[in-house]
Amino acid sequence: MANALKESIIKAVHVTEKDAKVYYFKAPNFTYGFLMPVSLFLAFSIAGQINSALIVSGLTSLVILFGTTSIEAVAVVLEKQTGTFERLLVAPVSFFTILFGKALAGFFFGLVLATVILVPLAVVSGTTIANPILVLFAIGFSSLAFSALGALVSAYAKWVPEAQMLSNFLRFPMAFLSGTFVPLELMPSQLGIIARFLPLTYSVEALRISINGSAPITTYLLDILILALFSFALLFAATKVLQRRLE
Amino acid sequence: MKVAVKAQGLTKQYRDILAVDHIGLEVFEGEIFGLLGPNGAGKTTTIRMLTGQTKPTSGTAVVADHDIIRESIKAKERVGVVPEVSNIYDEMSAWDNLIFAAQLYSVPKIEREKRAKELLELFGLYERRKDRVVGFSRGMKRRVTIAAALIHKPKMLFLDEPTTGLDVQSSRMIRNLIKELNDSGVTIFLTTHYIEEADQLCQRVAIINQGRIVVVDNPEKLKAAMEERHVIEISFSPSRDLNDKLRGLSCVNNVSRLGDKFRLYVDDASEVIPSLIDFARKNSLKIISINTLKPSLEDAFVRLTGLSPEVMATEKEPIKKREE
Repeated sequence: MANALKESIIKAVHVTEKDAKVYYFKAPNFTYGFLMPVSLFLAFSIAGQINSALIVSGLTSLVILFGTTSIEAVAVVLEKQTGTFERLLVAPVSFFTILFGKALAGFFFGLVLATVILVPLAVVSGTTIANPILVLFAIGFSSLAFSALGALVSAYAKWVPEAQMLSNFLRFPMAFLSGTFVPLELMPSQLGIIARFLPLTYSVEALRISINGSAPITTYLLDILILALFSFALLFAATKVLQRRLE
Repeated sequence: MKVAVKAQGLTKQYRDILAVDHIGLEVFEGEIFGLLGPNGAGKTTTIRMLTGQTKPTSGTAVVADHDIIRESIKAKERVGVVPEVSNIYDEMSAWDNLIFAAQLYSVPKIEREKRAKELLELFGLYERRKDRVVGFSRGMKRRVTIAAALIHKPKMLFLDEPTTGLDVQSSRMIRNLIKELNDSGVTIFLTTHYIEEADQLCQRVAIINQGRIVVVDNPEKLKAAMEERHVIEISFSPSRDLNDKLRGLSCVNNVSRLGDKFRLYVDDASEVIPSLIDFARKNSLKIISINTLKPSLEDAFVRLTGLSPEVMATEKEPIKKREE
C-alpha cells in the first residue's frame, strides 16, 4: 500500500516535470496570469479606497487564480486535443495520479507567479510582510486549490476556448464575491454567506492575515485546512468527470 | 497454447451508436493477430477497450492475465500500446519522450537510459535523439511511438493501424520491425484495414464489420475456403467503367475494379470466359489481358463481408494535429 502510494506520487511528479517542459515556459501563460488580475485591480483600486494589505493579498490571490486555471486549461485540454493524453491513459497510472501531477505543476506555477507579483507589489506599496513563512504556505495551498479547480474545468472541456470560457464563469464571480476588492465585512450578509463557499475567499483571507499579522492564527489555520480540503475535493471531482468524459 | 487476450461479449455503445457488438476473441501468446476491417468497423474501439482507454458498456476481457476493468493498472503494466496517431510530445526530444515513457512504467533509472539508447539505435534514431520530435517525419514519429511503447519490455504489443498514412518505405520498415518483435517473443495484436498487410503479417485474422466479428481464422485457411470460387482478372481497351455491365453477365457473382483491371468473382471460370469474349465483341472492346487467379485474402474478405475492396482502401479523415 505504502509502496503503491509512493509509486503514484513519483509518477505524478514525472507528469509535473513533463508538463513544465512542454507547456509552462511559454510567454502567453505568464502574461495572461498577470494581465487580467492587474487590469481588474487597477480599475477598482483607482475607483475605491483599498488599503495596501488588501491590494497585496487580493492581487496575489487573483494572479494565482487566473494563472493556474489558465495553465491547467492548456496542459489538460490541449493534451486531450492533440492525442498525447492517450500516452498517459495507456500507461499504468490512475486518473487521480495524472490529474494530481498536472495540479502539482500548476502549484509550482502559482508559486512562481505569486512571488513575481507579491515582492515588487509589497515594495512599491510599502507593505510590511508580518510573516513570510505563513505567506508562502498560503500561496502554496491557494495554488494547489486553484490548480485543482482548473483541472476540474479542463477535465470537462473538449477545447481550450471552452475551458477558458467555463473558467471565466467561475473566476469573475469569485473575484467579486470573495473579498478581493471589498472586505467581506462590508459586503451584504447574503453575499458574505456565498463567499464562504468559494476557495478564493480563504486564499485572500489567509494571505491578508499572514501579511498583516493581525487576526488569530486559528483563523489562518482554518483557511489553510479549507483550501486543502477544496484541493482534494476538486481533484476527486476532476477524476470522476474525466472518467465520465472518456467513457 | 497460452491465451494472451480473451474477450467475451465485449460491447461498446456510444449513445445511439453501437460501435462494438458483443465480440469474442482469443489471442494466443507469441502470435501476430490482426483485426481486419474497414474504417468505422469498430477496430479502434476494440483496441481502446482492451488497453483500458475506455470502459466497455458490457462484456469482459482479460489481457496478460488481468481483467481490463478490475485490474486495469496491472494489465497496462504488461502491454505496450501504439495508437493510430503518434502520441509522442512534439515539444520534447526523442530521448526525453522515451525517458518519460519509462518513468510512467516505473523502469528503474539505470535501466531507463540503457533501454532508451538500445531502442533508438534499433530504430535508427540515435543520432537524432536530441532533436525535438516536431521536426521528424511521420515515419520517424511512428518509430519513436513504437519505441516508447517498448521501453518497459512488454510481452504484448497493441498496434492500431501501424502503417496508415506512411510512405511505402516507412511502412515496409514498420512491418519488418513487427515481424522482428514477434520473432523475439512479443505477442502482437494489430488492427488494419490493409488486407495485404494482414495477409503478410498475421498468423490469424479476425474480420470485423459493423462492430461484429465475421470470422476468425488463419489467412491461408480463409483463402482455402474460397477455392471452390474462381476469380478472373481481365482488362479491356478502351478502359472504362464496366462494373454494372459485367455484373449483369450470368455466372458472375461480384465485380470489383482495380486500376485498369476488373476482378470477377465467378462459380466456374470455364463457363464465363467464352461469355467475356462475347461481351468484348458486342461492346467493341479489346481484351488486353485475362487471368484466372488463386483466391486471395481480399477475395475471402469480399465474400465474408459483402464489402468491396474499395471500401477497405478508403482512408480515414486525417486527424488534425495541433499547429505550433
